[in-house]
Amino acid sequence: MLHIRDVTRRFGKNTAVDQVALEIPHGQMVGIIGRSGAGKSTLLRMINRLIDPSQGSIFFDRTEVSTLAGPALRRWQRDCAMIFQQFNLVPRLDVLTNVLLGRLNHRSTALNLLGMFSREERAHAIASLERLGIAQAALQPAGTLSGGQQQRVAIARALMQQPKVILADEPIASLDPLNAKVVMDSLQDINLRDGITVITNLHTLDTARAYCNRIIGMAAGKVVFDGAPEELTREAVRMVYGAEADGDEISEAITSTSAGTGMGARPRKPAPALAPAFAAH
Amino acid sequence: MSITTSDTALSVERHWQELASRRRLYTIGGLAFMVLALAGSLWFANESNAGKFWDRLPHLFDFVDQLLPRDGWEVWRALFDLPSPYDDGSLKYDYPEGRMYLTQSLYVPEYVYKMIETLNIALVSTLVGFALGFCLCFLAASNLVTQRWLRFFVRRFMEVLRAFPEIVIAGFFLAVLSLGAIPAILAVSIHTVGALGKMFFEVVENADMRPDEGLRAAGANWPERVWFGIVPQVMPNFLSYALLRLEINVRASTIIGAVGGGGIGEVLRLSISQTHEAKTLAIILLLFLTIVGVDQFSAWLRRKLVGDQAFAFGRGD
Repeated sequence: MLHIRDVTRRFGKNTAVDQVALEIPHGQMVGIIGRSGAGKSTLLRMINRLIDPSQGSIFFDRTEVSTLAGPALRRWQRDCAMIFQQFNLVPRLDVLTNVLLGRLNHRSTALNLLGMFSREERAHAIASLERLGIAQAALQPAGTLSGGQQQRVAIARALMQQPKVILADEPIASLDPLNAKVVMDSLQDINLRDGITVITNLHTLDTARAYCNRIIGMAAGKVVFDGAPEELTREAVRMVYGAEADGDEISEAITSTSAGTGMGARPRKPAPALAPAFAAH
Repeated sequence: MSITTSDTALSVERHWQELASRRRLYTIGGLAFMVLALAGSLWFANESNAGKFWDRLPHLFDFVDQLLPRDGWEVWRALFDLPSPYDDGSLKYDYPEGRMYLTQSLYVPEYVYKMIETLNIALVSTLVGFALGFCLCFLAASNLVTQRWLRFFVRRFMEVLRAFPEIVIAGFFLAVLSLGAIPAILAVSIHTVGALGKMFFEVVENADMRPDEGLRAAGANWPERVWFGIVPQVMPNFLSYALLRLEINVRASTIIGAVGGGGIGEVLRLSISQTHEAKTLAIILLLFLTIVGVDQFSAWLRRKLVGDQAFAFGRGD
């Protein structure tokens, strides 16, 4: 259980994340939606501790993640893999090495710097690449791959970390619809087959509806919606995105990155009973 | 053409006019200052010179006259240590003196040997400078080191290393360690560490930080982030700068030779001061060919190693 307790993050006078409290049980697939600047990315980065919270605390099971430092912090970061909009691979290193870099925290620094990865680790890395369908590119420099392929390499690297949680920060925002589907399908597969909690920031409503069994809406740093996709009504959407007062509906067709019919099938996993937590205002 | 405009537009226009005229004033003032400063410096330099420039200028041709050898082949005889027909027992025409024999009959001409000595100084000190500069530069980069004091300390340290010209450091080491190549290597290395370190950390600061962020989020520690996230990006530029430094170091170690650091510079200074014209020309020719050769070689190597990727990093591709 990932437990976020009244976490606040300020940048100067600006409050990016404001008193967010969430409980995310193991194995959920959570989508976070909201306008740009709503604090989605900051929230994910605080969970991985790329950014430190200004206030509040984050617990994972019994560990207080928000106060970790040094090796313990790096161990948490290993357990909490992160996927980025811009992939954040090392472009000049080949794909296989990039995937093996997910093992860094499992091994000694001296062995790492010498680049001595074991046979099992290489086999594991190739298996991860195969699972994501890009094993044929294993020896190319990562920078020469297309965006969709790079994002799959990033997911393979995340898998190599053997994480308990995967955080994905706009994983499909730079991808074309077909690649977006491939990437989201892989994340869903990891969530269902390996039981890893996946928390992903999304900028398209239909993707969130199609893939997640829980949707969290953020506006101005606060959580304004928290519930199952079915509960995400027109009013709730308006609350999250702050649509014009005249009631113009946000057209999901405009923001959609879906390639058409392909995306609709969300597996009917029993959604946890969650009351929609409409914020107090 | 008259356009009626609002008060805001008028005030913007007025403001712009003011700014433009102020800029013009600065430009004219700056130019006037430059001309005055240049004239003053030249006058001062001429005053403090031993002889006046215009009086001494005709003597330039005396020097050229003194440099002419007895015949054109003398230069080649001096360069390859072949006996001269003008040999009168004096050092001036005794070219075979100084041959470095490898076997009974095979020898390396003296100046080629001295040139190799100089190249060796340049090569060793570039390697040492590269290794130490490489280690230091990451500690000086603001995108990798958050501790200001450490960055400050490393940067000041490198500044001190490159603050003194090689020849000054060499003068110091020559006094302590006596004449030869070792003090020259020390002097050039020290300067190279400072100079390369500065260029390296500027390259590091321009690196794309997304790979680093990715590794940090995966739980990599600092050395691992640097080694896998930064080094692959910056290595081509590092090599490019190191090769440039090698070219500079060849010249620097020549000069240091002239103050006692061994190598070609030393024999050049001796032969100029003793007016051994053929030897002087032979050395200058050899120097010229070597420097052109080193420059061409390093350009070729740079293309080989770096290709056209050298400045392609940071674009995220």
